[in-house]
Amino acid sequence: MEMLDDQACPRCKSTKFRNPALKLLVNVCGHTLCENCVEVLFVRGSGACPSCNTPLRRNQFRVQEFEDAYVEKEVDIRKRILKEFNRQEDEFTSLQEYNDYLEEVETIIFNLTNEIDMEATKKKVELYRKKNKESIMKNRSKQSSDQAYLEALIQEEKEKEEEKRQQLQFLERQTKSQKKRDKEALIDELIYSDMPAARVIASHTANVETQEAPVFKLPKKMTLATGIKVGLGYQDTFLPVPKQEVVVYQYEEEHYETYGPTAPTTEEIDTQRYNRHVRPASPQGEAGGYGHNLACLRALQEAFSGLLFFPLIHGKKEEASVMETS
Amino acid sequence: MAARSGLAGDRSKRYEKIEFLGEGQFATVYKARDVEDDNRIVAVKKIKLGHRSEAKDGVNRTALREIKLLQELKHENIIGLLDVFGHKSNISLVFDFMDTDLEVIIKDNSLVLKPGDVKAYMIMTLKGLEYLHTHWILHRDMKPNNLLIDTNGVLKIGDFGLAKFYGSPNRVYTHQVVTRWYRCPELLFGARIYGVGVDMWALGCILAELLLRLPFLPGESDLDQLTRIFQTLGTVTEEQWPGMTLLPDYIEFKKFPGTMLSDIFTAATDDLLELIAALLCINPMKRYTATQALKMEYFSKKPGPTVGRELPMPGVPAAVLKEQQHTRAATKRKQPDDSGRLAKKLVF
Repeated sequence: MEMLDDQACPRCKSTKFRNPALKLLVNVCGHTLCENCVEVLFVRGSGACPSCNTPLRRNQFRVQEFEDAYVEKEVDIRKRILKEFNRQEDEFTSLQEYNDYLEEVETIIFNLTNEIDMEATKKKVELYRKKNKESIMKNRSKQSSDQAYLEALIQEEKEKEEEKRQQLQFLERQTKSQKKRDKEALIDELIYSDMPAARVIASHTANVETQEAPVFKLPKKMTLATGIKVGLGYQDTFLPVPKQEVVVYQYEEEHYETYGPTAPTTEEIDTQRYNRHVRPASPQGEAGGYGHNLACLRALQEAFSGLLFFPLIHGKKEEASVMETS
Repeated sequence: MAARSGLAGDRSKRYEKIEFLGEGQFATVYKARDVEDDNRIVAVKKIKLGHRSEAKDGVNRTALREIKLLQELKHENIIGLLDVFGHKSNISLVFDFMDTDLEVIIKDNSLVLKPGDVKAYMIMTLKGLEYLHTHWILHRDMKPNNLLIDTNGVLKIGDFGLAKFYGSPNRVYTHQVVTRWYRCPELLFGARIYGVGVDMWALGCILAELLLRLPFLPGESDLDQLTRIFQTLGTVTEEQWPGMTLLPDYIEFKKFPGTMLSDIFTAATDDLLELIAALLCINPMKRYTATQALKMEYFSKKPGPTVGRELPMPGVPAAVLKEQQHTRAATKRKQPDDSGRLAKKLVF
């Protein structure tokens, strides 16, 4: 229901729900109109968009492909911009440069879609068009690597399908002939065997059950006459990720040197009720993330720390370690 | 040892200035060479005296905090304070030299952060925080900018200007700490007594930022910050956070349903989402501590953390990057975090 209601013409307010034949059209500004309204408004071939007053031409109306007008607009602008900004990766000396170029294209598209700096961006596009007139034409006739990649993908898909089909056929044939052979064997045995028929049948069914399913072997891979190597040509452009020995992290207890007896742990403070000697935390404190167990633990640690510290022993040790490091 | 005890010696000559690195609110930082220690490269932070009202009290408070705390701390993931010396009326702190910080790495979109890299950064930060928290210190200014990284990819927590001891039952603290984007809900509600949760929340925001490559909750004011928190994570009730309404600056918020974390971090694995949820728990009592977080499944599972030397390093100096950032301000789109080193073209 809601989906159908959502698709509505902003002018005549008719919805897909009320009029299932409703056909929404969209123009460069990204606003939608139904077919009828377009007919009425653009009798003369041009007019203003009722939503945003942009001058529009009738022959630029297209059927809306995406439900979200924003997406529709973006895709439209992208198509238009990419017609001109059609430089390819091999025209750049480094990946960084290419990425910067792509980033710029994205910025232009983004700006145009969201109407940021419209004038400046339009000027930029115009300038680019003038400057690169020749290379744009040249690039248009060239097949881009993306296209090649897509074609390779389609080819690969087709091959996989073919393989699957062959596999199925093979299995079918195998099982058919196997069944036939089994049947013949059984009849032969029934004819020539001295054993009672029931036992022959029993041993035969047991035999059939233990049989393994036939294994399908792939026909050898062939290089295609067209020269397309499936899944290879494009894959080469991926940078290899160096495989490294991974050491998984393991937690180690953080040691807190107090030179004294170890203070009770947080759990012991609770279970052995050390904390009843500390002023309980106020509700505000609790809400702020301060619990009285914290104060209790700290007080205990401070009380214990240094109890077993003897300057003579520890001082010497410290000096020794300093000597070692220096 | 001898140099440290001999306070009288003129140690300003010991460190030869190489270049100016940056200037903060309280200090200027230089790269310098330690002549007496095999020409080791260090960072010298020269504290500004500030204007008169501050100067009449003597040395700047943040500098004192930094010196006093750092003198007693020694951990691989905590910035090492090597020396402190006074020259004329100035006071200078000598630190390990750190090449870059996490903010630079997050903002450099030519770098790709692999899942193992994020894990490595988190482990190092959590270890540093665990050490601080077991020694009863709150950092109170956790943000990518303060997580420094050296040439070997070792991350060290720096800038202890706001750090303080915690765990005292009657001491009242200020709630005006932590850079706003990383400030937790209890601080925003004006809590004056708090615990390790403030650092853990900030770490959650940093983790989110590592994944999104954009600040997670960039609030424009304290109120906006709270709104963003509840919009993203959902408004909590008194049962979920007892005592919330008693906090000094408590205000009631509209009931937001919140967004599923898996919808925000679409590329994150389940164990990673668990960690994010544990760090960004709105109730500070239930928020995980550093120790609890380190014991979580995410860290013990594959992929293991990337070893230091293989962590990404920005090729561009920080200053150049800042400028780039400026021109790109118009494009506020999210960058996918682990798309591999591929051309960023959309194929239709």
